[in-house]
Order: sequence, then structure tokens, then C-alpha cells
Amino acid sequence: MGFQQVLFSFNLVFSIRFFEDFLLHDLYELAAFAERQANADRLKEGITVMLSLVEVKCRPWLNGMELLEDLQRNKHTLSSGDKGTDSLLQGGLREGQLTELVGPSSSGKTQFCMQAAASVAEKQDGSVFYIDTGNSFSARRIAQFICGSSDAAALRKRVLSRISCHTVYDIYTVFDTLQGLEVALKSQVKMNVNECRLRLLVVDSVSSLITPILGGSGSQGRALMVALGYLLKKLAHEHNIAVLVTNHTVGTGENGKTKPALGETWKSIPHVRLMLSRDHRNNNCTISILKHTSMPSGQTVRTMTRKDNQQCV
Amino acid sequence: MGEHEARDWIRGDETAKQMLSRVLGDRAFLLLPPLHRVPLRAGNVVEITGSSPTAKTQILIQAAITCILPKTWNGVHYGGLGKLALFLDLDCRFDVLRLSDMLKHRLLEANRIGNGAWWQLEESNVKTWRSAQDKSKIVYDEELYVSCMKRFLYLRCYDSLELLSSLKTLHYRIRLQEECGSQVGVLMIDSIGAFHWTDRLSSSLALDKNNRKSLSLTNVVETIVQEMKKLMQVHSVVVIASKATIYEEKYPTNENNRKLSSNNDRSGNASSKAQQPPFREFMPSSWQAFVTHKIFIRKSGDHQSSGQQSLSAYSLEWLQPQLSSIDRFVVDDSGVVIV
Repeated sequence: MGFQQVLFSFNLVFSIRFFEDFLLHDLYELAAFAERQANADRLKEGITVMLSLVEVKCRPWLNGMELLEDLQRNKHTLSSGDKGTDSLLQGGLREGQLTELVGPSSSGKTQFCMQAAASVAEKQDGSVFYIDTGNSFSARRIAQFICGSSDAAALRKRVLSRISCHTVYDIYTVFDTLQGLEVALKSQVKMNVNECRLRLLVVDSVSSLITPILGGSGSQGRALMVALGYLLKKLAHEHNIAVLVTNHTVGTGENGKTKPALGETWKSIPHVRLMLSRDHRNNNCTISILKHTSMPSGQTVRTMTRKDNQQCV
Repeated sequence: MGEHEARDWIRGDETAKQMLSRVLGDRAFLLLPPLHRVPLRAGNVVEITGSSPTAKTQILIQAAITCILPKTWNGVHYGGLGKLALFLDLDCRFDVLRLSDMLKHRLLEANRIGNGAWWQLEESNVKTWRSAQDKSKIVYDEELYVSCMKRFLYLRCYDSLELLSSLKTLHYRIRLQEECGSQVGVLMIDSIGAFHWTDRLSSSLALDKNNRKSLSLTNVVETIVQEMKKLMQVHSVVVIASKATIYEEKYPTNENNRKLSSNNDRSGNASSKAQQPPFREFMPSSWQAFVTHKIFIRKSGDHQSSGQQSLSAYSLEWLQPQLSSIDRFVVDDSGVVIV
């Protein structure tokens, strides 16, 4: 009596055809059903095999000390390229976390992203995966962010070679790209290649991918948004990458205050939410914390925009 | 009935001492603020609802710390339960640094108070006392810190299937832990509505409807509730779940507005207004019936504490059991503090 026949019996009574169905049924019910059948032993063996498959799929429970160890060993803090932001965030962007930068248009979000990419590629020996949705990536601007006195051309070439830019215009392509990246990262882990690993993933901007599908009260748009958020968080945690996404703001009529786009559900997805606002009169940018996992919200810092690489960290 | 049996019947099953020792083992415990209003005992399911960010995870972490701290250690009273805390992270945003910092703060405070350093509090004010941390020789016990951190167990799930798999094997894993001597005190879920939209999508996409239990939202939540009920029958745990609202509040959330409206229609309509939750409920009825205690948190302006920058304050309201008092709290370095 093969395993197939066991499944066939399950299928007849409980319509269990897939692994997911097995998860939805009560184990004791299934065991009681198995008892009543002629081939009770085989069926119970089948249930045990399914349970062992479930166990294999489960992650192990980690205790607090193991979590701390993983944090200290694997999840380093990456400088964002700007001293003010680094001091605000107590170090910078943290690997394993999804950081969201919210701001109205032309407040400097893309500049921030490119500056972070340049800083990671140059100073932190890491490669950057840059997903650009609005054709705003500029290699020349990144080159301006690179500091370094000697041998400028070779340095620039090396830094720019570490940043891979992917232009995507819709959410389905982004899913494709990210899932391809996940596969590539998993195979890299097996080969233990440590040199110049991926440290920063930028999505500029995530709101332009999601806003077109969010219309109405149907669940498809929001489900895709949540799925994208979780895919980013999974990539961040499993492969020790810092993820930086940008979002735009929408204005509410009654209060007059602008709030981040993408609605209520998206608020629970990023680890860290930063609000960027620019005073156009004197080119001062202000970054404030909207939400952080270990810091109270409301702290702000003021930075200056750089026209060229005058201020190096 | 023979004479022997009659004598047994009169003699009784256990003495009062035995009964007390059995009942006191499962006694209700009061958690730290802001959950201090209602005593929670094993078998209770608490649901904390609030939009993001409203410090729900901070409350969970604080409850976890109360659970993992021992009652006394080396003569110092910590007031905890000394049991395991299980944390199911569905939000995947948990920061262990925050847990570690809050635990260290609690250990330091308990040590100071325990070692009679309270007289220092009386003499100077609190701020200079805290900044004189380096001068005081009171250090927290590293061994205790490690043993507490080891009592905190963490698991993250990225979708409903992983959650169901974990719940199915949870009983067996708890048994393994209990064989090592420690009991589970609290099971925390952060946050329970995390996979709501993806599950709703799969229920609308379910094709084969004949006789097959599809992976729909109601089925998934029912299975979750079933597994947790089975767990709670065997182990005495308190379940605390946080829930982030996914619909925006369409009505003004001003506390003043609510007080005005409740004053205006005192006659008759007051009870029906009280029954309506201040947020739009989206969890299926199987989950709503499972929950025994409900809390709602909303942002309530800023609070200026002495000297430091203003922290955002939140107001906490008990919806079930319905209490008329509303607690206001802020979150600072040491955790949740009532103001």
C-alpha cells in the first residue's frame, strides 16, 4: 500500500489533495478517521509522514541570546552617507530592516538613495541592487558622491561597478526581479562567496509601483502590496541586507497636513519610517522619525543638500 | 456502598493545603502597566488594537519581560513569573535590541531598589540620579540577564501556511521545553491581522469549491483558533495578540469629541454607542468570539516630560470588560510609563 493510496483515501473523505489542505484539518480528526479504516496502520503512517513534512517546513524557535548573537554578528549598520542621518538613526541603515523614506516630490528622496548607494559601494565594501521606477538613476550623480582623493578614476569605476541598476515600471516585474535575486542569493550562500556581498537594496519608489493597483476596496491591490512588503523583509532578514524604499505623500483636505501614501495597511510594514521635508528657500532638508523599532518617534535632524561632494562623511 | 467506601467518601480527596497549593499555581497575575487594570489568568485571550504606530509591540515586550523575570533572585525581588514567553512574530519587525535594553533597565531598577538605594532617590531628584549611573556601583547580574533572555522564545512567520505549520507543531515543542523544567506563561502574537489581505485574496481565487476546504480567510482563522484552543487546554498560558487596524478611522479621534457626544445623549443611546467599537473590525467572527479581553489604543497628543524632548502619548481604553477609565502613557527608555 503506497503513500499514493494513503493520500487517495484522505482525498476521498476529506478532499485533502495538497499539503495546504492538510494544515487546515484537525489532526485528531484525521487520526480518528484513520482508526476506522481497514488499513489503519498505513494511514496513521501517512499522517506521521505528513507531520514530519510539516516539522521540516517549520523554522526552529530562537531564544533571546541567539537573536542577539545573530544581530551582532550579521546585521551591521550601514552609513547612509550623511552624518546627520547617521546620528539620528544611531549609526545609519541597519541590515535586516526595511527603511522607508517618505517625502513630497522633489524633496531629495532620490538624492538620499543615491548617496546611500554610493556610500555603501565605496566605504562598506558591499554591492548595491538599485531598482529604479522613475528613470531617475544617474551614474554621474553617484560619481559626485564619491569622496576619495587619490586615483579617482579607478575608484569611481570600482564603485560604479558594484551598483547594479534595474529599471522596472510595474509591480509584476518587480516581483520577478526580486524572486530572481532571492534565487541568486541563495545559491551564493551555498558557495560561501563573501567578497563584496549584497548589502543594500533600494526601491525608488515603491509607491509608484503600488498606487496604480491600489484602487477601490478590492483586496488584490493591497494583497500584492503586503506580499511585496513581506518579500522585501524576508530578503532583508535572511540575507542580511538593508532595504531602502521611498514613498510619496498625499495631502489630506481637513487637517492640511500631508501624510504618507499607500494607506493604513502599509504603515505596519516598514521597520523604520522617515519623513523628509525640504525648505526650498534655503535648501535645508529636515529628516524626522515617524516610526522606529527602538527609538521614539518625533526626533528630527537638519541636513544640507550638497551640490557636489563638498561634505564627505 | 460498603463501609470502606463510605469512610473514603467522608475523608475527602485532598486537604485544604493541597487545594490551595494547586490553585495558587494557576493564580491570576496582574501585569505591569498599562495592562494593570484587569487581572489576567491562564486561559485569557487579550487583543490589543491600534493603528500604527501606537506602541503595541512595546506593550507586548513589557509583558514578556514581566513573564521572563524571576520572582526573586539572589535576594532581590523582581516580581516576575519566571516562565517562558513565546513570541510569534507575524509582522516580522521585532527588534531584539529593544527587548534587551528594556530588560537591562528593569534589572538595574530592581537592583537599585533592592539594595536600599531608594534613599538616594529621596535626596536628589530623579534626573540627576539617573545620570549618576556610572558612579553607583550597582550592576545588574549578567547571569540573570542571560537566563532571562534564554526564556524568551521567538519565531517569525512570513505567511499563513508557516503560521499554521508552527501552530501544529507548537504543542510538541512546548513539551520538549517543559521537560527541561520550564513552563510557558504567555504566548504573544504580533500582529494577528498581518496576513488578512493575502488570505482574502486566496479566498476570492479559490477555484475548486466542491467539498474541499480551501485556504480562505475564514478557514485559516478558524484553524488558528482551533489549534490555540487545543494548546490552551493542555498548557496554562495567557494569549496576548496585537492587531493593527487596516482601515482608517473615518470619524474624528479627538477624545474631547467623544466625551461631548457621550454627554449629549445620556438618555437611552449611551449603551448602544458604547457597544460600537471605535475601529472597523475586520477579523472573522471565529476570532472575535475567541478573544476574552479587548483593548484599544490611540494616539493622544504629545507629552512634555521634564527637560527631555516631548514624547508622543497614547491613550488606552479597555473595551472588554468595559471600563470607564482611560489610561494615558508614554514610551521611554525603560518601557511603558503611565502619565
